Amino acid sequence: MKYVSFANSLHDLSILKNEGHDEVILGHRDYSRFGKLDDEAFFELSTRARELSMRVVFEWDILMTENVFEKLSTRLESFTSQVDIMRVQDPGALEWTLKKTSFPIQFVAENANRNLSSLQGWCEYIGSRLNRLVLSIELARTTLKEFIEKLDVPCELLGFGRILLFYTPRNLLSPLESSQKVSFNEELSALGESEESPHRGFPIIENRHGTFMFHIKEFCLLEFREDLAQMGLSHFRVDLRWQDLALIQDLDNLKENYPQDLMKGFFLVNKTDVLFPKLKNSRLQKREGNYIGEVIESEKSKHLAILVKHPDGIKKGSEIRILHPKEEEFFVKIHWLKDSSLQEVDHLPQNSLALIPFVGGVWVKSQIFTV
Amino acid sequence: MPEILAPAGSLDKLKVAILYGANAVYVGGQKFGLRTAAENFTLDELREGVVFAHQRKAKVYVVLNSFLHDKDLAELPEFVRFLDEINVDAVIVSDLGVVRTVREHSKIDVHISTQASTLNVEAAKLWKNMGATRIVLGREVSVKEAGKIKREAGIEIEMFIHGSMCMAYSGNCVISNFTQGRDSNRGGCAHSCRFEYSLDFGLDTEEKKKAYFMSSKDLEGLRILPEFISEEIDSLKVEGRMKSHLYAGTMSKVYSEAIGYYQEHGNFLSDKMQEWELELSKVSHRAYTEASLVEPAGDDSIFNERENHQGNEWQMVGSVVEASEKGGIIIEVRNAFNQGDYLEVIPFTGNAFTLNTQEIMDLSLSAVTRTRPSTLIRLPYQKNIEVHNLVRARGLK
Repeated sequence: MKYVSFANSLHDLSILKNEGHDEVILGHRDYSRFGKLDDEAFFELSTRARELSMRVVFEWDILMTENVFEKLSTRLESFTSQVDIMRVQDPGALEWTLKKTSFPIQFVAENANRNLSSLQGWCEYIGSRLNRLVLSIELARTTLKEFIEKLDVPCELLGFGRILLFYTPRNLLSPLESSQKVSFNEELSALGESEESPHRGFPIIENRHGTFMFHIKEFCLLEFREDLAQMGLSHFRVDLRWQDLALIQDLDNLKENYPQDLMKGFFLVNKTDVLFPKLKNSRLQKREGNYIGEVIESEKSKHLAILVKHPDGIKKGSEIRILHPKEEEFFVKIHWLKDSSLQEVDHLPQNSLALIPFVGGVWVKSQIFTV
Repeated sequence: MPEILAPAGSLDKLKVAILYGANAVYVGGQKFGLRTAAENFTLDELREGVVFAHQRKAKVYVVLNSFLHDKDLAELPEFVRFLDEINVDAVIVSDLGVVRTVREHSKIDVHISTQASTLNVEAAKLWKNMGATRIVLGREVSVKEAGKIKREAGIEIEMFIHGSMCMAYSGNCVISNFTQGRDSNRGGCAHSCRFEYSLDFGLDTEEKKKAYFMSSKDLEGLRILPEFISEEIDSLKVEGRMKSHLYAGTMSKVYSEAIGYYQEHGNFLSDKMQEWELELSKVSHRAYTEASLVEPAGDDSIFNERENHQGNEWQMVGSVVEASEKGGIIIEVRNAFNQGDYLEVIPFTGNAFTLNTQEIMDLSLSAVTRTRPSTLIRLPYQKNIEVHNLVRARGLK
């Protein structure tokens, strides 16, 4: 397993080279969400990286509406002589790179792509040009292991760094901070907290690409490096763009010395769907098959009014089960059946209003089923 | 002309939306969508909904736009085959694995969900290559850009015209995942973007700025309809499967009437525009914005307020359950009102009109002076009132 990281200066490049990195991700400020490099800096670093025998990975990870895309893709040609590998996230950037260039491609599949079929689909589509897939940190260990084993392509995972929670193209900080007028080339940052969340101090950044919010803790899988290597993970990404890159020189002790709280996220287990059954109204999930309809009026001592939903309608004399909103059950026989004109009938069809004898304890929204 | 695509969180809402003019509805089954807490459709209801829609020349699209994990995906083929069997018109998908599964197990058209944040021509071409027949563009795309995407990628384009908006690029927010343990892209969004935040800009002052800085105003694109039409956008979508019958009905009626007016007159030079806007204002909503439909959304698109929706002075009183000369008008009451209160019936076409409330009876024909929620009342028969018509009122006490 190799390490991969970002460089924003010649000094950064030296550090990475000394650490044995054979590639470097360069973020141009027009193309990369958190890129700092202008044209001149990009050319300087890419030239130096090649002199150091490091492959230059051009990070093009912003999402782009058509107008932005057109401008950026047109301009991209001026950088291509200095690039060895393209790293893309927007499917448009992927398509363009695939069809308009011959670069190897690192595809960032961190968003969506939680199933193997999806990742295999990207592998098939990109074909031999796929240099690497960047997987999501929301995949738990067992899933990662399975995917890495089954995917016939090198895989990369964020091993250390900030967790991006939110990305919008809108400028959300500058409208609130007029005293710091932000120019196009500058970045505005803040720490956010809400009384409705127990978490304090979300780092928030606004730059030319929009506004980004990160988790209060940073992601750290340093203690699982051996495990990840045994799984067959190709690249372990260390993202220190908001810290001193020199910290990468002592990864074994980085965790102890790091100024931010750290977390493993969902690496051990991802249970982000276990609460879903509680979000659902279980009563509403039971309308299949023998469901006749719902009580829409319960008039004490008089009647229950039912809106009939079943294609066969409702019949006088039939046995029914009434399921109360609080799950209590009542079993009764329909001794009389009336239509909305209060006429006694033997049968009423689907979508009609049916009145049956009142049953004590039955409320509106109780559900009626055949027995 | 573009189709009007309305949200239908339940079978009843599907019927309301279609009867009020929607050309298509999008619905969710019990799994695979993003509205876990919605009533959603059982298999029987999906079958009935499709029949109801097709009888009225409307279409039904089923959302499968969760970011599915493998264990979810394993259950998908059976559901997809069922959808194919009942002739669902399309599925809405945000994940390549789901696209592949749908195509492997059915012949249903695949629409790429806005969750995939498709924003440019090349991305649309890619999804077309994957077998998609339509793209629901990200809400960051302008109508002009959308027209270009349609022309150059050669694929159907759907755009949101109305409703609540994610502030983030759709599918690119995982706040709920990491702070509440609920996967926002599998139906567990906790709406953290609507919270009030204190922001510390690291200035010398100790004062923190309090703001609902991540909350977006609601989208409203009525006045941009001519642009949608001239750019030949195929489908105009209204957000809101969790919203009320009144919302589903009003949106379907206003936007379909507006499209119909344009078809007939070739312009919107009419007082009708103000009438339609007035109708939209009567439904609960945040302040409206055109967001990025014309220019990239600016500062004025942020809803920096507590969630006190506008339009609440108008409430849904109920819906018509039966209407006949013999039995009168039977209304399922949702909000209480008094004898003599001013109520309006919203007909499927044409202007709302007054409902006579001088003579109210319960179902057993006893006189009523004040109605109660969750009861049925009977009113004398009035012409032009039909089953599923919605009844509304302002300032009920």
